[in-house]
Amino acid sequence: MTTKTYDGSAATQEMETEHHYEELDKIWLEERSLTNSLAQPLRGLLGFFLSFGFFMALWYVTMDPRGILQWYTPMYGYMYIRWLLIVAIWQAYIFNFWPFKQKWMEETHPLVKGPIMIGINWAITGAIIWIGFFWLIGKYSIPYFSWPELHKVGMTDFFAREYAGLAVLMVAAIASWLAPIWPMAFENYPWHKLTQPAKGFTVLSLTSLLTIFVYFIFMHPHYMVLFYPWQKFAAAMPWWYESAKTLSGNYNVGWIMCGTIAVWLIETIWERYPFRLIKSQPWRGLAGFAWVLFVALIMFNTFNLMQDLAWGPAYEGGKRLYAPDWRYLHSGELAVMMLLPALVLYFYFDNWPKKFSTEVNLAIRTIIVVVGTFAFNFIYYQISPPLLGTQPGYSHPQQFPMAPVILWIVIMLYHNWFMDGWPGKRIKKDK
Amino acid sequence: MAEDFSRRSFIKGASLGVAAGYFAAAGLSSTALYKQVMPAEKLNQTDIGEVKALRMKVISETSWYDNNVLLNDLKGAGGLLVNQYTIPWTSNGVAAGYNGNNAGGFATYIEADLMDGSTKRILLDTGWNPAWMEKRFIEEGVAEKLAKKQIDYWIISHEHFDHYWGLEATLKYNPNQDVYVPKGFYTEGFDLLKGKAFPKAQVKNDFPHKGKVHVMDSSKVNPLFPGAALMTFDMPIICRVFGEQAFVFNVKDKGIVLVTGCCHMGIITYMETVRKKIKGGEKIYAVQGGLHISPFEDWDPQYDDLILALNKYGIQKIGANHCTGFIAVEKMISAKLPVVTGTKRNMTKRDIYLGNGDTLAV
Ligand SMILES: [Fe+2]
Ligand SMILES: [Fe+2]
Repeated sequence: MTTKTYDGSAATQEMETEHHYEELDKIWLEERSLTNSLAQPLRGLLGFFLSFGFFMALWYVTMDPRGILQWYTPMYGYMYIRWLLIVAIWQAYIFNFWPFKQKWMEETHPLVKGPIMIGINWAITGAIIWIGFFWLIGKYSIPYFSWPELHKVGMTDFFAREYAGLAVLMVAAIASWLAPIWPMAFENYPWHKLTQPAKGFTVLSLTSLLTIFVYFIFMHPHYMVLFYPWQKFAAAMPWWYESAKTLSGNYNVGWIMCGTIAVWLIETIWERYPFRLIKSQPWRGLAGFAWVLFVALIMFNTFNLMQDLAWGPAYEGGKRLYAPDWRYLHSGELAVMMLLPALVLYFYFDNWPKKFSTEVNLAIRTIIVVVGTFAFNFIYYQISPPLLGTQPGYSHPQQFPMAPVILWIVIMLYHNWFMDGWPGKRIKKDK
Repeated sequence: MAEDFSRRSFIKGASLGVAAGYFAAAGLSSTALYKQVMPAEKLNQTDIGEVKALRMKVISETSWYDNNVLLNDLKGAGGLLVNQYTIPWTSNGVAAGYNGNNAGGFATYIEADLMDGSTKRILLDTGWNPAWMEKRFIEEGVAEKLAKKQIDYWIISHEHFDHYWGLEATLKYNPNQDVYVPKGFYTEGFDLLKGKAFPKAQVKNDFPHKGKVHVMDSSKVNPLFPGAALMTFDMPIICRVFGEQAFVFNVKDKGIVLVTGCCHMGIITYMETVRKKIKGGEKIYAVQGGLHISPFEDWDPQYDDLILALNKYGIQKIGANHCTGFIAVEKMISAKLPVVTGTKRNMTKRDIYLGNGDTLAV
């Protein structure tokens, strides 16, 4: 994925490889060779509007409070969106499209393989949520992971669905931060020689194990204070209270979101720089992980500070714009808003520019993405109420820009990972 | 190779330097860096004058009678973002309801004794179910005062169904009563005032309003009379409502008294704003009304933050009710906050807070 240049310019590709070491392992998305069916900027615009159109349609049917299923309450709908994302990452990055053969992926028309891959994506998401969490874990282990079980023990149906939604989506959020680090930073070391599905299951198992630890340390204490009275025998007191000035797990949601976004900024517009300059594994992977964490904390603190400057400091016990936990959450939202222009640039505008030195390319892309983030943020708050059925203003406790933005990102992933960016691009036939 | 190495060490060095400097300055808290780069906050306080005494009588704080029924209405309609005028609210067959209707409403009657010896009479909000509200208005003498044109101010805190939709109960007795609404009212709200019906939501107004409508600005303190002002907060609220206003009174020798409808802006946010904008705002003597913490007996760790922080403001009396929620009030009581208890009459469910017919006098 990183070294691929979709305009097929061989010169650019050579210049890039000069500066870094070979990867241990490549996934099909990196090796896939695409040709362009249209010239820029038409191709970019077509892809952009196609993904936006599908996003709008799916939003209206599933999420929109004025729409059909009305799942955006908001946690219930957001839960599905986060799981669609992590399952797509598993399909493409961790399992490298197994059980489908590379040949089949290359020869099958995007209009055939796209719906198949998306169908699998939805089926796995539904099975994990309804069988894995709502039934198995909820019924036999922790009721707060399950809408029906939480309702059965006395929570109102509406809040049972919301509380369970938050818990279930947080597992996906943490996994979508940790899982891609293995193929991206470690290049699946030390299992790069394994074949699928052994490799996929190995990486999935490891990253899921890490996810369980991160979830229980950073999110489970939120549920100690969420229920009345405090569940002090089942969960620790939120240990971040002193430094974060809130008991809410949103403190961790904020920086973990920044981490998820950092992974994909590094993977796309920053081409895994600078840690790819490190020669051998696992050092490259460890440096990559540290870099992700570092970028995440820079983003988190910068966004927190920007909000302090815009609105004045938050204060303990404040609500809305002045709630410390909302500020942290909003920093995560701002990070998500950064990923959108990055992916548009990467998927639809060939990760422009590529003609300068790596540093200059990366710097220009970063500037484009930062400017794009501000522009998108401005537009989002102007037009989201009529478009998405949300309400005007920043601080509504029942809406998160993260949800629609991530759903649009999921659509972009479907389009580019599962359907080769068709019809703007297609697989090279001569291969 | 050499180029690789130099590039690598440059990036390494630069990023380490930036990192060390940044984190030394920022730490992880949201406000740490802010304090270093921003000048001290400027206070811009308005002197609103003083009143001698204040009496707040709860006309109705029971906005709905069965929480599960209300939440199922909301869930069935598509959640908390859905426009309140499009929701088919359950209005019969509710065992706990008023004549089977789940709708009750919120309204408070306030009397303020001015320094010159006169008294101002204020009606805050007008509830939801007109039948219930009319009964309460009659029982507490509000209906009579409306009919005799003795109510000086009719204030609508915000457009929520449970505070505004019972407007027939007020207009039936005085359609000419001037009304003060916060900035942010939607068209439906103004149309309802003029007499439009919304059959799906089962709300109507057969007594079209003939008085003046004042829309209260959010950018400044809005003085009412010496010792009293209104403050409007811009914010989106559940069920597609925007903006809320609340009272600031300055009571001689006591301090500031805040009277709210729902307080969707949050009581801490309200007190912090008052501290910055009202002379004497550092000393909050009492708060009265809905504090919007756990209206649906739901919870969020953010609400614990609020209750833990409340202790730092030195409030003498907390006359909370309505959307404060029972869980929040129980937590306040265990946090040793000065919650004023009530008498559990007129369909109020518990005596741990001020209920229907109870008065807080300052
Ligand atoms: Fe209310
Ligand atoms: Fe309200």
